[in-house]
Amino acid sequence: MATTTATLNLTSDDLLSGPLSITATTTCMKAGTTTGLDKVEMGRGKLTVADGSKSLKLATAGGHDGATKVYLCNKATDPTYYIDVDIHDTNVGKLYAGDWLFLPWSQTDTAAELVIEAEGGSCEYEWAIFKEDETLVAAS
Amino acid sequence: MATTKATFSITSDILSYGTSITAEMEMKKAGTNVGLEETTGLSARTFSGNTTQVDLVTVANESVTAGGANKVYIRNTGSDKAEHFKITLADTTDDTEEIGRLYGGDWMLIPWEATDANEDIMVQPSTTEKMTLEFMVFHE
Repeated sequence: MATTTATLNLTSDDLLSGPLSITATTTCMKAGTTTGLDKVEMGRGKLTVADGSKSLKLATAGGHDGATKVYLCNKATDPTYYIDVDIHDTNVGKLYAGDWLFLPWSQTDTAAELVIEAEGGSCEYEWAIFKEDETLVAAS
Repeated sequence: MATTKATFSITSDILSYGTSITAEMEMKKAGTNVGLEETTGLSARTFSGNTTQVDLVTVANESVTAGGANKVYIRNTGSDKAEHFKITLADTTDDTEEIGRLYGGDWMLIPWEATDANEDIMVQPSTTEKMTLEFMVFHE
């Protein structure tokens, strides 16, 4: 069984009057089980403003209600450049230059695709998706 | 100006050569190099006795900047990988868009558009057994 471990460290010395330090670690399992996720896809790309909305990843029936985890990072350096992130037609938020997200993705139906759109200027991005195994589609 | 850092790392042995990703972001106000200065503070909310979907973070109740570079951290503090919280955003037509499911120990960190009440963050426990979420909003 594969083991995928995701860790977050949140720190600040001056956001509050005392230091802030939060650490969260999880081992990513298949939905409702103690069996590790066993498929990964990742890549890097570049979005221009002219590209408009693009599908980072289509939702699939195989991923429906699964325990997929998504990492996405905006690699731009200009602070005014951001990537708008949507699931289907719902805006999640803006990833400004250097920002990243890590979220569970249910793919509740095949319309629940991950959508990204660059604003302000071209944004390079990195992404990774850790998920449950899927049955490959038949060859055409 | 406050400095708040979020460091992400994920390691996996799904592939034969291993996978390791690390990313660090400094939370800044939209389009600037000025750090986020406000937070709700770290909160915990325990659910028991029903599986009703409820608002966890309500736009109207927080002094967030709509469309800003807000960030939300949520973690299922439990250890039971069979149980989960369903995390949902409302969309512009007032129905909901499920983001994903946080199983025991799972966490997420996402940007939050928080434009209006249709982007409240809602949660729904999968069981009537006692379950707890911890969460924190960083905002402009």
